Amino acid sequence: MTGFITRRLLQSLVVVLLVTVIVFILLHLLPGGPARAQLGPRATPTAIAHFNHQMGYDRPVPIQYWDWLIQLATGNLGFSTQFNQSVVSLIAERLPKTLVLTILSVIFALAVAIPLGILQAVKRNHITDYAITFWAFVFYATPSFFLGVVLIVVFSVYLPILPAEAPQSSSIGVILSQPGGLILPVATLALLTIAQFSRYMRSSVIENLAEDYVRTARAKGADERTVLVHHVLRNSLIPIATLLGLSLPTIFSGALITEAVFNFPGMGQLFWTAAQTQDYPIMLGITVLIGVVTVIGSLLADLAYAVLDPRVRFA
Amino acid sequence: MNPVVTVVDLHTDITLRKGVVHPVGGVNFIVREGESLGIVGESGCGKTMTALSIMRLLPPGGKIVSGSIALGDVNLTALDEAGMRKVRGNRIGMIFQDPMTSLNPCLTIGDQVSETVLLHREVTREQARERAAEVLDLVGLPHARERMNSYPHLLSGGMRQRVVIAMALACEPELLIADEPTTALDATIQKQILELIDDLRRRLGMAVILVTHDLGVIAGHTDRVAVMYAGKIVETSPTPELFANPRHPYTEALFRARPENVDPDRRLYAIPGLPPDLSDPPRGCRFAVRCAYATDECRAQEPELTASNHSFACFHPLDSKQQVAPNPPTPLATTQQAAPVLEVRNLVREFPVTSNGVLQRKIGAISAVADVSFTVSAEETFGLVGESGCGKSTVSRLLVAADTPTSGSIIFDGVEITGKSNRELRKYRGNFQLMFQDPYASLDPRMRVGSILREPLVIQHRGSTVEQENTVVRLLDEVGLPRTAVHQYPHEFSGGQRQRIGLARALALRPKLIVADEPVSALDVSVQAQILNLMRDLQREHQLTYVFISHDLSVVRYVATTIGVMYLGKLVEIGPAEQVYTAAVHPYTRGLIDTIPLADPERERHKIKAGVRGELPPAMNPPSGCRFRTRCPRASDKCAAEQPPMVPFSEQGHRAACHHPLRSPIPLLPSTHTGAAPTTPATE
Repeated sequence: MTGFITRRLLQSLVVVLLVTVIVFILLHLLPGGPARAQLGPRATPTAIAHFNHQMGYDRPVPIQYWDWLIQLATGNLGFSTQFNQSVVSLIAERLPKTLVLTILSVIFALAVAIPLGILQAVKRNHITDYAITFWAFVFYATPSFFLGVVLIVVFSVYLPILPAEAPQSSSIGVILSQPGGLILPVATLALLTIAQFSRYMRSSVIENLAEDYVRTARAKGADERTVLVHHVLRNSLIPIATLLGLSLPTIFSGALITEAVFNFPGMGQLFWTAAQTQDYPIMLGITVLIGVVTVIGSLLADLAYAVLDPRVRFA
Repeated sequence: MNPVVTVVDLHTDITLRKGVVHPVGGVNFIVREGESLGIVGESGCGKTMTALSIMRLLPPGGKIVSGSIALGDVNLTALDEAGMRKVRGNRIGMIFQDPMTSLNPCLTIGDQVSETVLLHREVTREQARERAAEVLDLVGLPHARERMNSYPHLLSGGMRQRVVIAMALACEPELLIADEPTTALDATIQKQILELIDDLRRRLGMAVILVTHDLGVIAGHTDRVAVMYAGKIVETSPTPELFANPRHPYTEALFRARPENVDPDRRLYAIPGLPPDLSDPPRGCRFAVRCAYATDECRAQEPELTASNHSFACFHPLDSKQQVAPNPPTPLATTQQAAPVLEVRNLVREFPVTSNGVLQRKIGAISAVADVSFTVSAEETFGLVGESGCGKSTVSRLLVAADTPTSGSIIFDGVEITGKSNRELRKYRGNFQLMFQDPYASLDPRMRVGSILREPLVIQHRGSTVEQENTVVRLLDEVGLPRTAVHQYPHEFSGGQRQRIGLARALALRPKLIVADEPVSALDVSVQAQILNLMRDLQREHQLTYVFISHDLSVVRYVATTIGVMYLGKLVEIGPAEQVYTAAVHPYTRGLIDTIPLADPERERHKIKAGVRGELPPAMNPPSGCRFRTRCPRASDKCAAEQPPMVPFSEQGHRAACHHPLRSPIPLLPSTHTGAAPTTPATE
């Protein structure tokens, strides 16, 4: 097990490094560059050259990359002149808020999607199943920015029971103390995830209900509840664990878009601002972070797999 | 004795989208205390549905439409679902066919066995676990108490089936239903499981219903037999009586299709056609269309079961076994002393086992094939037998160059094929082809039969499109399939027909050698006979050489001219088929022969406690010296210390590797054996 994790972490390191190389090259291929964005459209070529020289952007790209990598190794992601803050502190300030949003929505989504999938499997091809399937496809097909706006229109405009905007504060405590403001962003993210996961859960349960061991359990005299909870549930969760790990980065990036809709002061907002001003250090920092989240997600998926399925032994 | 279960005029229907199937159409039987009833018949005859009707565990759409099932004095058909749940696992236990899938992979065996107890007895969790340990011990699971927290995947198939039996018996049911309990197991393990069920039946005084397609299993382990055909019992009697004097032509046909008593130079009797479609059963006697004795009366009117201890439903019952005409002879390819087509020398295949550390160092090897040598002459059938895990399938893959040996060489038609690159091998591949075991999994479900058969020709660039299409039609004719099959998909065919497609595919490139890995073990005995006859005919027509791999010695004895017996990667005995079968010298071969269930209750009774005991040890770090010594009744210290060399036991090339053979070897005369493989001293 330890051998497996170590090996996987080493592999992950290589993956993340490759991601940074690609992102670094892509960023430097963009026209304009940070100088134009920050000094304004009327900046003189001399001023731009001076800025680039000062920031080191006039050196060859491989050398810039090497420098950035050395800094990264010491935990320094660079400095954003625009925010006048180090990238690490910017991310540290905003990451927890995005994590709150992501984690709450995942927990909520799983808590709904798993029972929903089981219900659909048990009532398969009945009206309940068809109705849930219909709504699952509706939510699955709706882009999150549109779904967010619809929720705002319904719950903040027509029935003004929930705020349209997330609490604005740099402190995580303040945000958590106003849970009302979190409901709509979390719901937006969760509905999409529910739609996806309940589909998988449904087919996973249907598949397992047809297995021989279910017949064995019934032959012992087990009732349907015992069959479902004691036998089918755990076996059905195995594919869901993989799916969850692999969709973690998707949910995380989904959060970035949702944040923009609800003006939520998290990573999404930061990334948006940085992208508009071509703030290299911030964009690189966030990309590395998403790379890490992806790698951790698939590692977690494998570990969850091992916990759920005793047949899996790492080698 | 009191009846435990009484089934009266049971009719079960299954409603499917395309119509209603009637798998059980009026079944009657009684099973008494301590009695064992065998239900036998081909697949699709309603045996399993009868068993599932008693448990009321029918598949979706299944329903008992009329008749009654009484357990003691309780009418099960009148019980509601909650009432049935109190019966299942408590008063009736059930064992299923495939132990690999009938246990929950995510729960420990202790939990799964104690669940039965918790469901039906007012006990604490600890008491239930205590009972589970007791029952696991009773069913012969070694170290039952320590194994309580093991997951099923850590156990072998035989051990898993013991766990399934423990679950079924934990509440001491009055009735045990075993649905093909040993079909998925090796013959050696099958014998142990059947003897366990017998033993438990006697000790616990249970009634047993044993559902099987194998008359051999019925012979040794039941008191009464019911032969089912197309949803009805066509003949029922006490077991010895049925085997001595079968009256219904279907029963007789089932006996005659078995290869065990047929001379290799006679054709097997194959029941023509298939059981009828039970959504629309034929009028009159349901067997009439396949019956050699049928008259117009049979087709118009349905015969009733006669009312006697030996009853049968037939207008033209057979009087005695003597009436049966002998099977027609089959011309055998005369191949004695022909040139060798395949030479296998000191073949070794090991699979590395790596450590769990960061660097995954090699820490050992699974020895799948260890120094195997043999020669196959042109146009002969070389039979390779042994238990699952003995390395037969690895050998089959090596023979067709689908895998590379660790060392040793394979010489095909004078050409060394080991060590050749894939590119070089391509031109030879048409000469040796594989035929697979599972007719369901070995054909691409999304390819039409025409494309499946054409593919080898396309890959090897044989002929133009038109020529290839003509070849496909000729292949279909040869294996006895309609030409329209070209446009159909594999799922439209039965198991036997699919195996014909598999054979046609193997034949497409006109190979010299076909390696058939368990080609008939997934088939019913009647269909098995059809395929074996067909393989024989094609061998003669096309001068084919077969390597026929099987765990079933009675089939191998019938088809093979030479038999090789493998145990845990080693070839332990080899020789002319008849000599190996009738005069085996290695204790393992003898034990394997004793485990074959024979359709003869008298001989079966004498074989109790004979046969190979225990299970195959793991192939990682196999036993030193003779690998069989851990299960051998004759093992001595010498067996652990020294590997036995292959020594001759007859002048026809009968050889075996054993320190304590069942008879003594002949003095070495190296000049006499020419057809067989060179003697290989065990040097490793």
